[in-house]
Amino acid sequence: MGFADYIQFVLAPQIINGLALGTAVVLVALGLTIIFGLLDVINMSHGEFYAIGAFGAFGLSAAGLNFWISLALIPILMVPFAVVVERLLIRRVFDGDGRHVSTLLLTFGLSLVLEDLLKVVFGPNTHSVAAPVSGAIDVFGVTVPTYRLLLIGLGAALVSGIALLIYRTRFGAVVRAAAFDRHMSASLGVPVGLVYAATFALGVALAGIAGVLLAPLYSVFPTMGRDFILLAFSVVIVGGMGSILGAVIAGLALTQIQALASLVISPVWADPIVFGAMVLVLTFRPRGLFERLGHA
Amino acid sequence: MRDQQSKFMRASHVLMLFFLVAALILSAIGAGLGDAFYIRLGTEALIFAGIGLSVDLLLGFTGVLSLGQALYFGIGAYASALVLLRVPSFWLALVVAGSASFVASIFGGLIANRVRGVYFTLISLGLAQVAAKIVYNTRELGASDGIIGVPVVQVDLGLLSVSSDDPLGFFLLVLAIVVALYTILSYVLETPFGRILIALKANERRVPFLGYSVWGARMAAYVLAGVVAGLLGALDPMLRGFVSPELMSFMTSGNAVVSVLLGGVGTLVGAIYGSVFLVLLKSVIGSWSEHHQIVVGSMFMMVVLVLPRGVIGVIHPWLRTLLSRLPPSLDRPGSPVREVES
Repeated sequence: MGFADYIQFVLAPQIINGLALGTAVVLVALGLTIIFGLLDVINMSHGEFYAIGAFGAFGLSAAGLNFWISLALIPILMVPFAVVVERLLIRRVFDGDGRHVSTLLLTFGLSLVLEDLLKVVFGPNTHSVAAPVSGAIDVFGVTVPTYRLLLIGLGAALVSGIALLIYRTRFGAVVRAAAFDRHMSASLGVPVGLVYAATFALGVALAGIAGVLLAPLYSVFPTMGRDFILLAFSVVIVGGMGSILGAVIAGLALTQIQALASLVISPVWADPIVFGAMVLVLTFRPRGLFERLGHA
Repeated sequence: MRDQQSKFMRASHVLMLFFLVAALILSAIGAGLGDAFYIRLGTEALIFAGIGLSVDLLLGFTGVLSLGQALYFGIGAYASALVLLRVPSFWLALVVAGSASFVASIFGGLIANRVRGVYFTLISLGLAQVAAKIVYNTRELGASDGIIGVPVVQVDLGLLSVSSDDPLGFFLLVLAIVVALYTILSYVLETPFGRILIALKANERRVPFLGYSVWGARMAAYVLAGVVAGLLGALDPMLRGFVSPELMSFMTSGNAVVSVLLGGVGTLVGAIYGSVFLVLLKSVIGSWSEHHQIVVGSMFMMVVLVLPRGVIGVIHPWLRTLLSRLPPSLDRPGSPVREVES
C-alpha cells in the first residue's frame, strides 16, 4: 500500500472519526467549562446529563419521533431539570465554605443516582439509535459517512453559536461579568442568581445535545457517561478550566491524539496516552492552556 | 504541649477505644453464635476503612480531596495476590504490597502534586481511572476477570498462627492492623511534621513563610496515604480469595470518600465508623435490591446537604467538652499543659 493510499484509506477516515468524536467531546467539555468558569462548580454529574440526552434520543425514537425533533426537544426538556438541580442542590451549598469539595461531592452523588435510575428505567443493556441519514459522501476521494459529516458541521455551528452568545451578546456580557466578580455584578444590578441558573441550564443542555448527536454513532448504555466524562475533564483541564477557546482546541487535539494513536498501538493504550498528554501540558502550564472565562 | 488539635484528637481516641471494645464484644458474640457471614462482613468493612483513613489523611488534614485513593488500595491488593499465588507468606505479601503502593504513590504524587485544589482532585481521579483501565486490559493480571484462586494463607504471629479463612481470627488480625494504623497516623499528626500538614489545610500560602516546604509535606502526606491504602489492600485478597479491577474503580474511591464524610472529616476515627456503616448498609440494601447506587448516591447528597460534619462530627464537640471537664489528675501526668485557644 502506497503512501497516498495510506492517507486516503487509513489516515483520513481516522481523522474524520476523531473529528466526529471530538465535536461531541467539545460540546460536553464546553458545558463543563462554562459551568466551572461561571459557577466555580465541578459538575461530576455532567457525564450523566450526556447519557440522559442519549437515552432521551433512544426513548423518543422508540416512541416514533423523528431524530431532528428529538435533537431540538431534548435540550429544551433538560432545562427545567437543570434548573431544579441548580436550585435544590448546588445553591444550597454554594455559599458555604469549601464550595469546590461540597459541590463536587454533591454532583458526584447525583451522578450515582442518575446512572442507577437509567439502569432501572432502561435496563442495563446497550441500545442503539438509528442515524437520521445514511450512506456516505465522497470528499476528495475519501469516503465519509454522511452522518459524521453532518455531526461535525452541526457541532461547529453550535460551538460558534455559543461563542457568539458568550462574547457578542448582552447575556454573554452579563455571564462574563458575573464570572469575573459576582458581588460587583450584583451591585450593578445583574440578577446573578438567575444568570447562574441559566448558565447551568445552558451547560446541561449542551451535554444533552452531545448525547443525542453521539447516540447514533455509539451504543447507548447507562454507564456511558462515566466513560466519557474522564475525556471531557481531561479536555477541560488541558484547555484551562473555564476557557471556551481552550475547550475547543484541547477537545479537538486530544481526540485526534486518541484517534491517531490507536492506528499505531493497541486502542487500549489510547486512554493512557491522552492522560499522558494532559500530564505533559500540566507540567508546563499547571492552569491549562488558556485563561478562565471572564478573565481573558 | 497540648493545643487545640491534640484536644480534638483526644475525642477521636475515646471513640476509637469504644470502637475497639464494641468490635471485640460483637465479634465474641458472633463467634459464640457460630456466625461467619457478619464477622467476614465486618472484616471487609475494616479493610475498606483503610481507604477511608487514607482519604481522611488527605482531605481532613492536608485539605485536598483525592477521588483516586482506591488506586493504591488496588495496587496493594494485586501485589498481595500475585505474591500469595507464588509464596504463601502473609508478611512477604504485606511488605511487597506496602512497597508497591509506596513506589506507585511516589509516581502518582509527582504527577498529582504539581497541581492543587480541584485540579488535584481531577488528576487523582484520572490516575486511578487510567490505571484501572490498564489492569482491565492486561491479560497477565487477569484482565476483566481479575486474579482468582488466591490461596488461604497462614499468618505466623510468632506465638500463635491465624489462618485467613478463620473468620474470627482474621477479623481480630485486621482489627489489630487497623487500630495500629490509626495509632501510627494519629501519632504522626502529633509530630511537628503532622502540624505542617494541618497548616497546609489552614493556609497553604503561609507555610513557606515559616520555612517549610509545601511540596515536600504534600508529597509525604500523599505517599503516607498511599501506603496506608496499599497495606489494607493487601488484606483484601486474603479475605475474599480474588482481586478484580473493580477494586481500583471510581466506585471504590467514591465509597471511601462517602464513608469519610458520613463518619466525619478530619477525625480519622470517622473513616472507620463510616466504612462499617456503609458496608453494612450496602449489604442490607443489596439483599433486597441490586440498585444500591441510588441509596449510596442519595446518602452522599444528604450528608453534604444536611450533615456536613458527619455523624462523629456531631458527637465529637460534645465529647470534647466532656473530656475538658475531666479532673486534671486524669490529664497526661507530668506534661506542662499549655492551653491554646483558637
